[in-house]
Amino acid sequence: MTISRRVFVRNGGLALVSLGLDPLFLARAAFRSFRPSIIPSSRPILVCLFQRGAVDGLNMIVPHGDPLYYQERPRIAVPQNTIVDLDGHFGLHPSLAPLKALWDNKSLAAIHAVGSPDSTRSHFDAQDYMETGTPGVKSTGDGWVNRYCSHDREHADTPFRAIAFGPQLPRILAGSAPSLAIDDLEAFGLRVPREGARDRLTRAFEQLYEGEGTGLLASSSREGFDAIQMLKRADPTQYRPAAGVDYPQGRLGRTLLQIAQLIKADVGLEIAFADCTGWDTHVNQGSNEGQLAARLRELGLALSAFSRDLGDGMSRVVVLTMSEFGRTIRENGNSGTDHGHATAMLVMGGPVNGGRVLGRWPGLAVEQRFEGRDVAVTTDFRDLFGEVLARHLGAGDLSPIFPGFTPDPQRFPGAIKSL
Amino acid sequence: MRISLLIAIPLIVVTSLSAQMPSPAPAMTAHDSALHALNRLAYGPRPGEVDSVAHSGVMRWIERQLHPDRIDDKALEQREHAFKILDYDRQDLALRYRDAQRERQRMQRELAQTGDSMRPDGIAGPMREFRALGGELQQLAIVRATLSERQLREVMVDFWTNHFNVFVGKGADRFLLPSYIEQTIRPRAMGHFEDLLIATAESPAMLFYLDNAQSVAPGSSPPRPFRPFFGRRRFGMNELPEDRRRQPTGINENYARELLELHTLGVDGGYTQQDIIAVARIFTGWSIERPERGAGFVFREWAHDHGTKRVFGLTFNNDGQDEGIRLLKFLANQRATMHHVSAKLCARFVADEPPDGCVDAAVAAWQKTRGDIRAVLRAIFTSPDFWSQPVVRSKVKTPFEFVVSAVRVLAADPDTTPQLAQVVARLGEPLYQQPAPTGYAETEAHWINSGALLARMNAALALARGSLDAVIPATTDHSQLIDMVDERILGGTMSAHTRSVILEQLADINDPTQARALAVGLAIGGPEFQKQ
Repeated sequence: MTISRRVFVRNGGLALVSLGLDPLFLARAAFRSFRPSIIPSSRPILVCLFQRGAVDGLNMIVPHGDPLYYQERPRIAVPQNTIVDLDGHFGLHPSLAPLKALWDNKSLAAIHAVGSPDSTRSHFDAQDYMETGTPGVKSTGDGWVNRYCSHDREHADTPFRAIAFGPQLPRILAGSAPSLAIDDLEAFGLRVPREGARDRLTRAFEQLYEGEGTGLLASSSREGFDAIQMLKRADPTQYRPAAGVDYPQGRLGRTLLQIAQLIKADVGLEIAFADCTGWDTHVNQGSNEGQLAARLRELGLALSAFSRDLGDGMSRVVVLTMSEFGRTIRENGNSGTDHGHATAMLVMGGPVNGGRVLGRWPGLAVEQRFEGRDVAVTTDFRDLFGEVLARHLGAGDLSPIFPGFTPDPQRFPGAIKSL
Repeated sequence: MRISLLIAIPLIVVTSLSAQMPSPAPAMTAHDSALHALNRLAYGPRPGEVDSVAHSGVMRWIERQLHPDRIDDKALEQREHAFKILDYDRQDLALRYRDAQRERQRMQRELAQTGDSMRPDGIAGPMREFRALGGELQQLAIVRATLSERQLREVMVDFWTNHFNVFVGKGADRFLLPSYIEQTIRPRAMGHFEDLLIATAESPAMLFYLDNAQSVAPGSSPPRPFRPFFGRRRFGMNELPEDRRRQPTGINENYARELLELHTLGVDGGYTQQDIIAVARIFTGWSIERPERGAGFVFREWAHDHGTKRVFGLTFNNDGQDEGIRLLKFLANQRATMHHVSAKLCARFVADEPPDGCVDAAVAAWQKTRGDIRAVLRAIFTSPDFWSQPVVRSKVKTPFEFVVSAVRVLAADPDTTPQLAQVVARLGEPLYQQPAPTGYAETEAHWINSGALLARMNAALALARGSLDAVIPATTDHSQLIDMVDERILGGTMSAHTRSVILEQLADINDPTQARALAVGLAIGGPEFQKQ
């Protein structure tokens, strides 16, 4: 126990930098050729964006036709003359103007008054329920996306079937089906700076695990090395979005860019999941400018760039936004909003039955509210998620995906075009 | 129970004559049984430890581990002084959390003017300090698991912390969790299950996490004058609905449900929704004092449901806090509880799918001793299942076990920075951050997937880059190098295949330091070291 040993752990040991391998490695860098695998490039794809922190649905998809909206929000209501009107009653927050073109070509819909039947206003509990798909049940171990993957085995799995962008696997993807958390595509694989050394070490580990024969360690390592091969072919460092497409600066834009890249690389992606944060606007939320406006601007630009980048590829892609609950109808004393109940979600893509605000609008009058203060839930989020799984991804049986709940096609909000 | 009689005899033998037992498993060498014991009762061997345990007798070492208070742990105590978080009590932490929250709000107000969102590198002052304390809390778990001589106790602390899981990210639990670990779990990790169960039930961390602090008899109201239920809003209580922050209005079943399903009887424990409601009514009034006063346990007489509650054949009537205590004692000694918790212990120590034999042995010992954790553990470690061939070296390490065992086998000395904890998080097990009350899973399917395995390889390469002189001297003789890696890193379990792959990789490496780093990195990142 000397000082130098401690320094090792602090500096060298954990910096996750390479072994100091010399160029000799390059000489023996024998990377085997890519194993071709058959991936149907017509597989439908779902992209889920979780707006963590509870987005204010009322300032995202604004019910500007309702005078109560303006009455309850004297300081933070979005002025009527700046709203991007959708149908005379609802309109987009001006920051979401980049999405208007998608609305007009019917590939964007909004669902209002959607949420959880559970009354919790705890971020933690409500996010948990939305990810496990079991409102009110805390002990569910896995997430609904993972359950979909384990029950729907029609598709040949590739390591990229279900991907979460971020440092850790979120609850929604937790479970027994293989799924992958990727912080950054460019850094996926062994973190060894020099390519020759990296390839050689990759091959060495691959050989080591080939000795395992069968079992989870063997199959997982095979998947991992297949994934590295696929990515190597796709070469994330060389990716250029379609001409004229600029993703906004920041994590969300970068994540959507990488999702677009995986889709184009045809690596077998079926479900991608990403977080976008910063929606818990208790203080100084702002109206057409301010905190929420800035977050929505990034969201609108990122979604618009994603859609233009994929172009015709959007014909098999659906993007679904979700958030754990909405916010209070009435603004609070800090020009913000507190935790509420129902919120609004967006559905975007070729298969979407767009250009409409879906769901039954409950109204904002006190007697129409949940517990006298919040937007009431008229669409259970499982009916929306269930519809997307069934009608877009083609899930056969929804009952194991949402235990204790059977999404009923009669209650589907109608977000996906019927064939 | 025939098995319980059979087990009772070896128990006595082991207790008194452990030193004379050469090896607990006739088919295993002393070396292999020592390695097995160190892999399961400890976080793997440190250099030389397999030999010393084999030499002094595996069963004697196990018996010693069952009495942690008799084991000197000065080196760890010294190291603990470096952790500031141990100097702060709940109240100190609550105040620091409040300051951090105020700082956050001030920044949010400023950022709101510009429309920016908060950036992690922009934080300063109290926010930074509180975040650093959170990092210390995680790293402390790693330091203890690495350095403590009381290895089995550290394993049990981890087990109970996970069994009675509390999510550090839920509101006030950010400042309640450290005392939960220090004062609720750690002192009772090797005691009686009943004491541990009662302590967790009364802990502010659990009362907040599973919402029992808000559970009040319907129609009850506080006597006047009454301060607001949780003081000012936005003080660790953001996770509560604003209306409940002021005035809870009814029972909350969350704690009652998880108490039965997870902490005691198990999901198949044969209880109904009506039982859950009765249990919730019994615990009405078990709550937390205001956070700025340190958020201690309080029983609120006015919030307690004084009506008659009937559950599990028992009747509870107007007996205040004693009702809950009586119920917890009852639950702690139910057969379903014994079986549920014993099976979890066997999943931890024996196999993901534990054989019936060791579970029965554990249950029998529980019954005999009314839940003496040491007796239950002893029954598991003396069960033939624990030493059986299919069990040995077949259990995949959790991320925490993987990182700590690597640090131990390399004789590295972790400091107070959270870097090792960050590696554990990257491998999929961020400490104290499991949101679900189930805790983390024990089974390999939850820990092994392609991304996690690549992350383990990266961690192995990084760890192998450090100075290894204390463990393996550098040598140009590759065959000798591999022998040392096999013996000192893998405990002699290296397969012929692994040996040939590493040897081939070394073939053109002339620099002895590089060769050593490569061999060690491949060994720790390879398949053998993933198992225990």
